[in-house]
Amino acid sequence: MRCAVVPILAALSCWALAPLYLMLKVSFSPPAEVMTAHPTFLPHGLTWDHWHALLATGQVLAPLAKSLTTATLVAMAAVLLAAPAAHSLARLPARWRYGILLGLFAFRMLPEVSIALPVAVVFLRWGLLDTVVGLAMGHLTLVLPVAAWILTATFLAIPREVEEAAALDGCSSWQTLWYVTIRLARPGLVVAGLLAWVFSWEEFILASYLTLGAKTMPLQVYYYLYQGNWFLTAAAATLMTVPVLLLTGMLQRHVQTALLTGAVR
Amino acid sequence: MKARALLGLLPLATYLSCLTVAPVASTLAMSATAPDVGITLEHFRRIVTDYQFGEAVINTLVITGIGLTLEMLLGLGAALALAGRPVGRRIFSILLLVPLGVPTIVSAAVMRTVFGTVGYLNEALLRLGAIRSPVDWTGERWLALVTVAVADAWKVTPLILLILLAGLQAIPGELYEAARTDGASGWRQFFAITLPLLKPAVTMALIVCGVDAFRIFALPLALVGRGLPVLSTYAYVEYLEYGNPHTAAARGVILLGMILVTVLAYLKLAGPEEVLR
Repeated sequence: MRCAVVPILAALSCWALAPLYLMLKVSFSPPAEVMTAHPTFLPHGLTWDHWHALLATGQVLAPLAKSLTTATLVAMAAVLLAAPAAHSLARLPARWRYGILLGLFAFRMLPEVSIALPVAVVFLRWGLLDTVVGLAMGHLTLVLPVAAWILTATFLAIPREVEEAAALDGCSSWQTLWYVTIRLARPGLVVAGLLAWVFSWEEFILASYLTLGAKTMPLQVYYYLYQGNWFLTAAAATLMTVPVLLLTGMLQRHVQTALLTGAVR
Repeated sequence: MKARALLGLLPLATYLSCLTVAPVASTLAMSATAPDVGITLEHFRRIVTDYQFGEAVINTLVITGIGLTLEMLLGLGAALALAGRPVGRRIFSILLLVPLGVPTIVSAAVMRTVFGTVGYLNEALLRLGAIRSPVDWTGERWLALVTVAVADAWKVTPLILLILLAGLQAIPGELYEAARTDGASGWRQFFAITLPLLKPAVTMALIVCGVDAFRIFALPLALVGRGLPVLSTYAYVEYLEYGNPHTAAARGVILLGMILVTVLAYLKLAGPEEVLR
């Protein structure tokens, strides 16, 4: 039994990895290997041409910068807004906490298009379209419920007795928060921040509603795709995938425990 | 204590009220009003008589149905395999979860190279001799729907795997020991222990991924194009291409309503206590 399932798992792993391999391969392949009736699976020649071409378009650095700043802003704001709420939730009676968490979960069910539309109409009036701040504000609406969920689990894991002991030793409530609670919650805060970062980095729907000209990375990838340029698409897509894969790889274990065990109880 | 606790919730509550609750309320209001007319159901009447609307509804439902079935089968299979502590468990659980980290738009871009007419799937099938001439995977409507569902399953299956694996690991091992002592076969154990105790995780996975599937957007748009409307893109095009915020709002409201009705109906059938555990 322990060996019998290995071929199945290997096949599923291939299915999970093959498309990414092909993307990487296309971004380094001479056009003759790809734009033919019979594309090859193994790389026969390697070329940096498409990566040079991507840089030469002059269209990729600005989206990269916009996505980076937006995602970073979203990560910081998400933790700042969600952490106090999560700390409060963790200290509330279980019934209340449960109801509020369930309510936050319901936010996940709202279609992005029905949030994005009025926001876009209002942001147009306020001059917030095409700005990093406007997009970050939009992304926060989608990120905050999830961040609050994860952080509630984090704060629940910190025993109340630790905070009470600090208070007994003469810490003011601010000192307790700063020296004890936040220190202990730091791994959870980092995970929530990074998740928010990843979420904003790859977000597509709100970005298309809130953008007129200054594209983000996902919109730029879509633009190349729409143009039908496989090589620029593959290179740009690889470029935006690498940081997320590294981050989610690092996060995997934390996300699993945070998302699926603590918060649900 | 309670008052202070509520104080911490205030910033989050304010933010979500202003930028989520208010927009959704405004969408509802916009959908039922028109400038110079006041309250009207004209937008909904126009949508219902639009031939693309029926197409968008059916496309969304078909993609969700095929996608969820595929994802649940693959996810459950992989979760059961991993829970059996096979050889190479660590490396497999890392590899299988990789698509979870891939941005949706990237998965759409990648799937275009896989499912293109001169793409890699056709080439693989040609070499294996399974087909004689290349298949246009995104051409004809029903085949395109299957293609989108398969492409979506590539990205979503890892999430289901994660949820089901957590559910499987929460089942106490003693139950299986007791069942074995009583002489229950592997199948019997699966249907009498695993499946019933996994039900909350299945409900969670179905709701989370079902809602996501209803809202599917980038994949059909980037993989197939405007020719294959789903409810999200149907609402999007109306605003960004045709500049009709009121009709676009009504289209968004219909999607919202469909999600709510489906989730509530499912909870009614499955029993709400499943989620509340």
